Amino acid sequence: MTEMSTFGSRPLALAGKELKVFFRDPQMLFFSLALPLVLVLLMTAAFGGQSRFSVTARVVDLDGGPLAAELTGRLEAVPGVTVDLLDPETAERLLEDSDIVNLVVIGEEFSERLAAGQAPDIRVRLRGNGDTEGQIVNSYVESIVREMLGESLVARQVQAMLAEAGLEVPVEEVEARVGELFAETRESPLVTVAEETVGVRPEPIAQFLPGMVTMFTLFAISLTSVSLVEERRKGTLERLMTTTLTRAELLSGTWLGNFGRGLVQVVFLFGLAWLFFNVLTLSSFASIILFGVVAVASVAGIGLVIAAVSRTPEQANWIAVFFTMIMTSLGGSFFDTSGFTGVMGVLTRMTYNFWANDGFRRIILEGEALTSPPIVKDMVVLAGIGLAGWALALALFRLRGDDK
Amino acid sequence: MEVRDLRKVFNGTTAVDGVSFTINRGEIFGLLGPNGAGKTTTIRMMSTTLPMTSGDVVIGGHSVRERPGEVRRLIGVCPQEIALYLELSALDNLVFFGRMEGLSKAEAVRRARANLELVGLAERARHRVAKFSGGMKRRVNLAVSLMNRPELLFLDEPTVGVDPQSRNHIFDTIEGLRDEGMTILYTTHYMEEADRLCDRIAIMDNGRVVALDSPRNLKASIGDPDEVTLEDVFLNLTGRRLRDQG
Repeated sequence: MTEMSTFGSRPLALAGKELKVFFRDPQMLFFSLALPLVLVLLMTAAFGGQSRFSVTARVVDLDGGPLAAELTGRLEAVPGVTVDLLDPETAERLLEDSDIVNLVVIGEEFSERLAAGQAPDIRVRLRGNGDTEGQIVNSYVESIVREMLGESLVARQVQAMLAEAGLEVPVEEVEARVGELFAETRESPLVTVAEETVGVRPEPIAQFLPGMVTMFTLFAISLTSVSLVEERRKGTLERLMTTTLTRAELLSGTWLGNFGRGLVQVVFLFGLAWLFFNVLTLSSFASIILFGVVAVASVAGIGLVIAAVSRTPEQANWIAVFFTMIMTSLGGSFFDTSGFTGVMGVLTRMTYNFWANDGFRRIILEGEALTSPPIVKDMVVLAGIGLAGWALALALFRLRGDDK
Repeated sequence: MEVRDLRKVFNGTTAVDGVSFTINRGEIFGLLGPNGAGKTTTIRMMSTTLPMTSGDVVIGGHSVRERPGEVRRLIGVCPQEIALYLELSALDNLVFFGRMEGLSKAEAVRRARANLELVGLAERARHRVAKFSGGMKRRVNLAVSLMNRPELLFLDEPTVGVDPQSRNHIFDTIEGLRDEGMTILYTTHYMEEADRLCDRIAIMDNGRVVALDSPRNLKASIGDPDEVTLEDVFLNLTGRRLRDQG
């Protein structure tokens, strides 16, 4: 007796075939996995891949005295600031060539004037506006010099008061004692401002990864929906039409295949983010994958609609690209659209990307749990989009002339 | 199988115009005619993939019009084009289509191996179809159509563009299937193929059957059957050479 398949095995076999074809198609693998990975890496490189504050102060010391050394020492002691001492010629050339954007020039009379309680000889030269780095260095230098001048004035005042009281104390001893007091204050400030980071400190990659994943799952699944249309041209669909396969089974199998491909993308890209970019914990990675299951199920439904309405591969390609671009732009994959109101607010909320991006970002950036109301809302909407896509595809797709 | 007054009209153009014939169990029935004669359209209607404008086809007691699902269980179709997934291996293709016929995975694998053996490609089972020659692809195409062990097999120009070795392999396979009792509907525009393989032949031209008989009787109708060819028969019936149309 012939061994027949069990219920549901044909959609699974169809999905298995889709995945086999996917993994053996270098072009599809490139667009689905390699291209998003390359873009993520490029963007990480462009954004520096770091969230800690870091600037370099380029310094030319024409003075060479102890107070100039004290200035560079204090500058270097600021967290995140690195001092790069340059000779005047090199510094001038680098600034001229825009290789550096800030230059602190400690003048020849810096120590002498500061010791005398006079405005010290120091300049901060910026290329253009000096970028953020130049502005920050300028601000630190100004603050430190003001502090040093203040200390010098206090030392001079103390010495004058001692002299008036008839106490002969050497200048060096007064300066040393005042210096120690200020140093103690710097080490243990009387007033501190507590810094608290709300949520998870956002890494640049964590901010744009959700948008990229959302865009590329939509793009890849839209494009692979072309495969069903392509099957019409190749004759494989007609061959399937002569089997006992039903339209619902074909659509289920295609949906499952799309779902599988999308899930591979989500696991691959977020998996790399977890393993190598340190933007996810094991727990948030698990949440991301579970949320990804719902998101990919949704986008697979969209792919099914494109496959159902397209008559030629070219038509399907155009619909896929157009649809992806519109949804990606409106849905906040490139920039945050959650603040949109009015018509734009309605439009952005009509996209798959908006809800998927919102959920992914909440999990990664805010550390929210899957059970949090906003994420549950995202998942409900995404599931609705997927179901609507499925129903629409079933209503529009005709496998054979005798399909009712 | 019985074809009753089958018609197909595409946008006002009649592609098949009142075709009727019967095919007996276990025979190879040839549909012979130039490209555009309506052979493929006829096969598509008979194999349930193209709705007919009028008429009907009855296969194994089931009307294609009324019970296409029942008919699909009885038929196998080897289309004119290479309807395969080129990225997959020959075995994967056969197993996949076997599963679409409702076979379990184990049964599909068993039949796939047997069918690849039948068409002489057992040793290439794991090779990607994309790497195969045209003739080998045609043999895989044929092997796929046998996955559900059909009672009636449609072969639509199965030897187009194949090398002589593959052609002979396909002929041997078809004759072997006939010997096992399978009914085969074979379309071609190659006279010598039809002459060699078919028990009876319907010659089609402009969507109509213009003659129907055994190859020998068809040839005898215009002369000495050992001297004239089916090409001569077609010329005599239509005033045109068959190959000129292709």
